[in-house]
Amino acid sequence: MDRGIVIFLGALLTFSSSWLGLVVFPFRQLGQEQPYQKDEGDIPYPQPLQGLALAGMRVYQHNGCMYCHTQQVRSEKFGDWWDANGEHKTGADIKRSYGLRRTVSRDYIYDNPTMLGTMRTGPDLANIGVRNPSEPWHHTHLLNPRSANSWSIMPSFAFLYAREKIVGSRSDKALSLAREWTVDPGYRWRPSAKEWEAILARQGDSLVAQYTAGQPAAIDITTTEGKKRLLEFWLTTPEEEYQVVPKAEGEALVAYLLALRKAEFPLPEAKE
Amino acid sequence: MTAVDIALFATVVGSIVLFGGAAALALGWAFRDGQFDNFDQGSKSIFGPDEPVGEPTDAFPGANL
Amino acid sequence: MAVTVAEMSQHDRAKSAAERAAIDASCRGPVLVFASSAVFWLLAGSMLALLASVKLHVPYLFTGSAELTFGRVRMAHLQAVGIGWASLASVAACLWLMCRLSRAELIYPKMLYLAGALWNIGVSLAVVGIILGDGQSVEWLDAPPYAPPFFVAALGIVSAWTVAVFRRRREPHLYVTQWYLLGAVFWFPWIYLVAQFMIFWSPAVGVVQPIVNWWFGHNVLGLWFTPVAVGTAYYLIPKIIGRPVHSYYLSIIGFWSLALFYSWAGMHHLIGGPIPAWLATASTVGSMMMFIPVIAVAINHHMTLLGHFHRLRYSPALRFTVFGAISYTLVSFQGSLMALKSVSETVHFTHYIVAHAHLGAYAFVTMIMFGLFYYMIPRLTGREWASSVLIRIHFWCAAVGITTYFVALSIGGWWQGRMMNNPDVPFANIVAYLLPHWLTRTLAGLMLTIGHVAFAISFVMNLAGWGKQRSGGPTFFVEPEKKT
Repeated sequence: MDRGIVIFLGALLTFSSSWLGLVVFPFRQLGQEQPYQKDEGDIPYPQPLQGLALAGMRVYQHNGCMYCHTQQVRSEKFGDWWDANGEHKTGADIKRSYGLRRTVSRDYIYDNPTMLGTMRTGPDLANIGVRNPSEPWHHTHLLNPRSANSWSIMPSFAFLYAREKIVGSRSDKALSLAREWTVDPGYRWRPSAKEWEAILARQGDSLVAQYTAGQPAAIDITTTEGKKRLLEFWLTTPEEEYQVVPKAEGEALVAYLLALRKAEFPLPEAKE
Repeated sequence: MTAVDIALFATVVGSIVLFGGAAALALGWAFRDGQFDNFDQGSKSIFGPDEPVGEPTDAFPGANL
Repeated sequence: MAVTVAEMSQHDRAKSAAERAAIDASCRGPVLVFASSAVFWLLAGSMLALLASVKLHVPYLFTGSAELTFGRVRMAHLQAVGIGWASLASVAACLWLMCRLSRAELIYPKMLYLAGALWNIGVSLAVVGIILGDGQSVEWLDAPPYAPPFFVAALGIVSAWTVAVFRRRREPHLYVTQWYLLGAVFWFPWIYLVAQFMIFWSPAVGVVQPIVNWWFGHNVLGLWFTPVAVGTAYYLIPKIIGRPVHSYYLSIIGFWSLALFYSWAGMHHLIGGPIPAWLATASTVGSMMMFIPVIAVAINHHMTLLGHFHRLRYSPALRFTVFGAISYTLVSFQGSLMALKSVSETVHFTHYIVAHAHLGAYAFVTMIMFGLFYYMIPRLTGREWASSVLIRIHFWCAAVGITTYFVALSIGGWWQGRMMNNPDVPFANIVAYLLPHWLTRTLAGLMLTIGHVAFAISFVMNLAGWGKQRSGGPTFFVEPEKKT
């Protein structure tokens, strides 16, 4: 035997110790967990994702959402902070309403991949389906996050949406967003000065009528100031001939987000 | 335990028992045999006649430059 | 084999030089293939990094493109620099150093060309696949399922050849670098295979998956990049300044304690998460134990250099390597401190972690790999680096860039964590607070990229034969005064 073998085997020994500790024990400990059922006849929690929500999980996965959004709510005891009176407190996650309780291993037994995440460039999403159950909000937010929060730096997911000419009546699924967000999906659109002049020349009168209907004061579009005010108004109205609807992937992603309810159902092991 | 669990566990524990046991024996042998003695000589093994101790190879020029 | 200048003969000298030249020649082809692929992926990874960085403060950049959305670019960046640049550079290091230290020629180099090709196919599939929407969202293992078989095959060949060279050694003594390299070529395929197996091929579901994920994610740095880089520094620093390692005994203690403790330390990524509490505790203990190997390496690298700091002026390879060695000490101390509860609860989920990761992967590993390239490439091609200006640009861009990067994101990340832990601070304020830090990071990334371009130009010029023929003399920044 020579030293090469010694090194090889020594490295194996030291390495297997960590392997045993970090991977095998937890695997044994956590691999056996079952869904929770308080009483006979209750629907067990959690349930595996199905259908549209499962497809949406793939969209979430393939676009790397978890690199900015975690899916874990930490306990009341996690992390120090001091309130306005200088009093020491802990546990921001629940106070930020990321969940009603901390998440525990049982919440994830059907997750594959388990996208716990390691970075909160954006807020936690473990319980987003409870925290914000509005489907239209999620669609408008995904199309352009700035339409919901002006300060947001989240990427636009306009590629999950299609802008199409309205045939017949507007689709039920169409996003109710102002034209500034829908003319060029993903961007915040404004007409150039020349384009605006052309639009005014074409339909200025009807726009003024529309504006005046909801406003006490009339508007004079011969002045620059008036033109500007009318433009601001016009941008906040929906497009007449076009609509933006989610593609299948967009619908799936929102279905997944709404299915994220990991920190709602009470579990006995998540008391603290 | 599912079949997958058993397969995983067998792979993992099996390899640990096999490799780990052999590693323990080998380490014991290495110490008895004095494999870990005489380190100081070894530290000079990277130097040779053309790049000897005391002669930088990427800094000061040697005598043969 | 302590040889002093006085007692050696001209004949020995020529013989020894010829032997070394033959060894270098035997591994020239494969090592250059891996080295040039590494440089290519370094550039690709830099571009992806820059794009991802800009997107955080200019969210409208390429906003309509699914391919270039932040999440995909971020995954592609990590594959390009992790499995591409750093791993390919590490393979080059393993092969070249193992040949030199074993004083053995490389045999059957054709298989290594195959390994290089497979590896590049794997990285290309990973990066392109992720961009096209097949990313896996498993940090460090984002490559789509069709890419890893190529890495595994290539890695198998590389490991086998490294061990084969070692088996053919003519040098009876096992230098400490060889210990690290053998450990690395054994550990990396193992952790990679196990992680692939348990996450993709026969998936563990639930929170076992992130545990395996971070056991891998942390160990790929600790048991692949770290041993190769530390081993490289153990060769380069003594060799360049012509002085044996300060304490060889300590270096071996360092090796075994690294192997024993490093692999325990990955779980701080999951602190506060839904994992068993004892795991986090064990991880904290492991992190604290890491002080032993780190202090051993720190003492060795820095004591070896003691009294020779002026040589940093003259040797580009030494400059990069020493920058990396100092960063190793820093990143390891920082890592151990981050295992403390109060620190980790603040920095968890923040950009502080990103700063820490880059201090490890860039300021430590990448800088040592640059040092290795500046030392190794001229000895393989037989040509000097053509322009010391380019090397100077590279060094200062890299050094200032990574320092700026680290400082900006560490400060930003720390306060991000403090604000996040205080529920009275609205999320919008945290985003607004981070914007200037992200902008600074982009500027730092731009400097790093400029440095990489300078490096790539130097590299291509050298391969294309634009440098002076080597006569055995070193590359200098500054012509040193004549030795008296």
